[in-house]
Amino acid sequence: MPQNETIQNLGLDEYKYDFVTETKPVFRAEKGLSETVVRQISAHKEEPEWMLDYRLKALEVYNSKPMPKWGGDLDSLEAVLDEIYFYVRPQEQMERSWDDVPDEIKETFEKLGIPEAERKVLAGVGAQYESEMVYHSLREEWAAQGVIFDSIEDGLKNHPELFREHFGTIIPMHDNKFAAMNAAVWSGGSFVYIPKGVSLDTPLQAYFRVNQERMGQFERTLIIIEEGAQAHYIEGCTAPVYTTESFHSGVIEIVVKKNARFRYTTIQNWSNNMYNLVTQRSIVHEGATMEWLDGNLGSKLTMKYPSCYLVGEGAHGEIMSIAYAGDGQHQDTGGKVVHVAPHTTSSIISKSISKGNGRSTYRGLCKVHKGAHHARSNVECDALLINDTSRTDTYPYIEIEENDASVGHEASVSKIGEEQLFYLESRGISTEEAMAMIVRGFIEPIAKQLPLEYAVELNRLIEMEMEGSVG
Amino acid sequence: MTSDTLTESAGTALDAAAVERVGANEPQWLRERRQHAWEVYERTPMPTTRLEEWRYTNLKKKLDLDALRFSDAEALSSDPTTWPPQLRAAMDEDREASGHIVIIDGHVVHADVDEGLAAKGVILESLHDAITNHEVLVQEHLATEAVPAEEGKFAALNAALWNDGIFLFVPRGVRLEQPVRVTRWLSEAGTAYFSRVLIVAESASQVSYVDEVLSDDFESQTYTSTAVELIARNGAQVQYVAVQRLGRGAFYQSMQRTLAERDAKLDTLNVALGASVTRVDLNARLLGPGANSDMLGLYFGDGDQHFDFNTSQDHVAPNTFSDLLYKGALDGASRAAFRGIIRVLPGAQGTDAYQTNRNLLLSPDSRADSLPNLEIEADDVKCSHGATVGQLDAEAKFYLMSRGLSLVQAERLVVLGFLGEVLAKLPLGGVVDKVTRVIEQKLALHS
Repeated sequence: MPQNETIQNLGLDEYKYDFVTETKPVFRAEKGLSETVVRQISAHKEEPEWMLDYRLKALEVYNSKPMPKWGGDLDSLEAVLDEIYFYVRPQEQMERSWDDVPDEIKETFEKLGIPEAERKVLAGVGAQYESEMVYHSLREEWAAQGVIFDSIEDGLKNHPELFREHFGTIIPMHDNKFAAMNAAVWSGGSFVYIPKGVSLDTPLQAYFRVNQERMGQFERTLIIIEEGAQAHYIEGCTAPVYTTESFHSGVIEIVVKKNARFRYTTIQNWSNNMYNLVTQRSIVHEGATMEWLDGNLGSKLTMKYPSCYLVGEGAHGEIMSIAYAGDGQHQDTGGKVVHVAPHTTSSIISKSISKGNGRSTYRGLCKVHKGAHHARSNVECDALLINDTSRTDTYPYIEIEENDASVGHEASVSKIGEEQLFYLESRGISTEEAMAMIVRGFIEPIAKQLPLEYAVELNRLIEMEMEGSVG
Repeated sequence: MTSDTLTESAGTALDAAAVERVGANEPQWLRERRQHAWEVYERTPMPTTRLEEWRYTNLKKKLDLDALRFSDAEALSSDPTTWPPQLRAAMDEDREASGHIVIIDGHVVHADVDEGLAAKGVILESLHDAITNHEVLVQEHLATEAVPAEEGKFAALNAALWNDGIFLFVPRGVRLEQPVRVTRWLSEAGTAYFSRVLIVAESASQVSYVDEVLSDDFESQTYTSTAVELIARNGAQVQYVAVQRLGRGAFYQSMQRTLAERDAKLDTLNVALGASVTRVDLNARLLGPGANSDMLGLYFGDGDQHFDFNTSQDHVAPNTFSDLLYKGALDGASRAAFRGIIRVLPGAQGTDAYQTNRNLLLSPDSRADSLPNLEIEADDVKCSHGATVGQLDAEAKFYLMSRGLSLVQAERLVVLGFLGEVLAKLPLGGVVDKVTRVIEQKLALHS
């Protein structure tokens, strides 16, 4: 079937943003985290017994682990968590068509710079509202080739063996306190399977929205890229601004098999009252490539370090990260590359901008295990400080157990150069515009890796954020 | 530990009684300081690898304080003919000096200073003598400004139990043309030694100081702890060099803090070649505008040697400068960890701060960890750091071999060139030759 015909047959023209006009959820668990809540989540999802057991065990692990003492300020988090709804079911079932989208979500999509036309060319679209995926679609041509792009719940229901083979193996519940929390209360997220040799030429996109006040979102995503397959997955996150804090803690597990290639792009623009504590990890096999493109613009505190475990010979991992920390924000982000196999290569490039009393932190690990000979890794971090109250930190851990390896790290911190500013101003450009231009130039190496509309949006967001930064 | 050994070590343990004994003839203020330090020590938990500062050194495995005896040896004679030949050999290598101190098993057995300098008010003597002769000066500076007991478990232990140490005072405007040379020797296996260095360089003075410690190999763990306090007043220039050449079995711990006031230049070089475990904490504080610190480090490990460097560059005042370069080569199953932090405090505008750690892994079982950190709270700054871990440059080796050098010769030359960069930055008479020779000896063992 020719492609344009396929599009018409799918009725994509009728995409009318159909989901959730109802703002009243069909079910909301009691506040806080308890065994009752965990059991309710599992019951609503009609899960197999083993999953309920898994959740309950994870709850024990969560309760046994102390709050992390490093990273951002989590002192008030415990009090926040007591007031948060861990599970809000917005509707009875996930929709496959897209009518009656609330205006605000439509608007948000527009604001994110994803025009309708762009949605149409995506290979698949998923949307999560509060605790559940409310919408998932995949173009038929990909479905016909065996591609799976579904909610994580449907992944468990419809592909139980594939699911169980990988779920919780890449990020075990014991990994950290918030991975344990997610394992106990996970809800929503994507299940992606790209069969051997299949190469998606347009991205899959998932969109995460927290709508309600005092809401906790705990999506869980499992992505399996089979041998020689290729795909790109994009996630975007937003929430309205409330005076109380909200909480988001996702777990993303990815397997990239032999000679496959996968890119995971995040544009995180949560509102500034959001705690965003996410664990993202990939296992990269022989000859495969994993790329993380991580943009953190929103949230009150983000702690997120996407990682690549390079377990097969010749595997390659790449992490590109942009962080913007404005007033009241702390972006504690970075990346981890762990070289386990020989001839593995990796690169981390991180750019951060701190403005007002914002704080951006790069925290990363480059580890070369014994036996990973001929490993090569390079880490570069650049930080830009806009005001004298802005703060930036760099904490790169470099741990090398193999002598036949080469690892380098470099970081620099600067403010906007007066000479650069002077030059631009001498050409008749206002100070404000000149600063925005310099900042755009600073993030350009990463922005250009983004799909066009995201790059445009990123530049626009930066410009907005830079407004009023002069003087 | 059996009850027999418990009984044997009674009376020589590191305990409150030892604090009493070591301070028995001291003035009241000092006994109180020791007492206070001991309280801090007792209430401070032993650091574990859960603490970032101790991430790479597991004290549970590396140090057994309970098994150590508190040094109670009598002072050796001040007659040089009775001193160990290795100590004398090390001293003979030194060129001219402004003064000498010799410390054997924790006791200062010799101190001399150029007469002309003494006439100008330069003081170089054992800490014990200084307490008697210059009580006010010592009371003002000892464990107050730079390394107080509150710094942590080991700073407290040192402040409670220090045996002897060195006091060097350089009056305003006095410049020492030649370095002050300190040579130390340790001989008692299973012993814990605690000493202190206090250097106060008054405004516009200038001094360089070289402190070398030596021993044979020890059959049981031997611990040496030194607290180093370096104070450079406005416009003073201070160079501090520590050369550690202890035998195997030694646990070498050095806690150093440098205070550089307005326009002071305070440089340090730590050379670590010996001991089983080396732990250096170095905190450089740039307290006045224009203050400047070069911080250099060099280490060469083989066998199962373990090195752990924990440095910080604190830019407190505006327009301050610091530049750190630590380089090491690791052979055998040796391991090095470097953790360094640049802190630019709010208001320290115009800071330039740099930090570089480079490691050469010479053998399949060697290991290097590097953690160069930045914490920047001012915006008008230039800060950068870099860290590398790699092996010998194949091209450089190939070039040298194409010129007729053997593989072994080529490798030695490349390593010497790699480490030589550090020494070239602080070319103090005698130090470069001596350190180069020791590295050559270690390289000769490299196959």
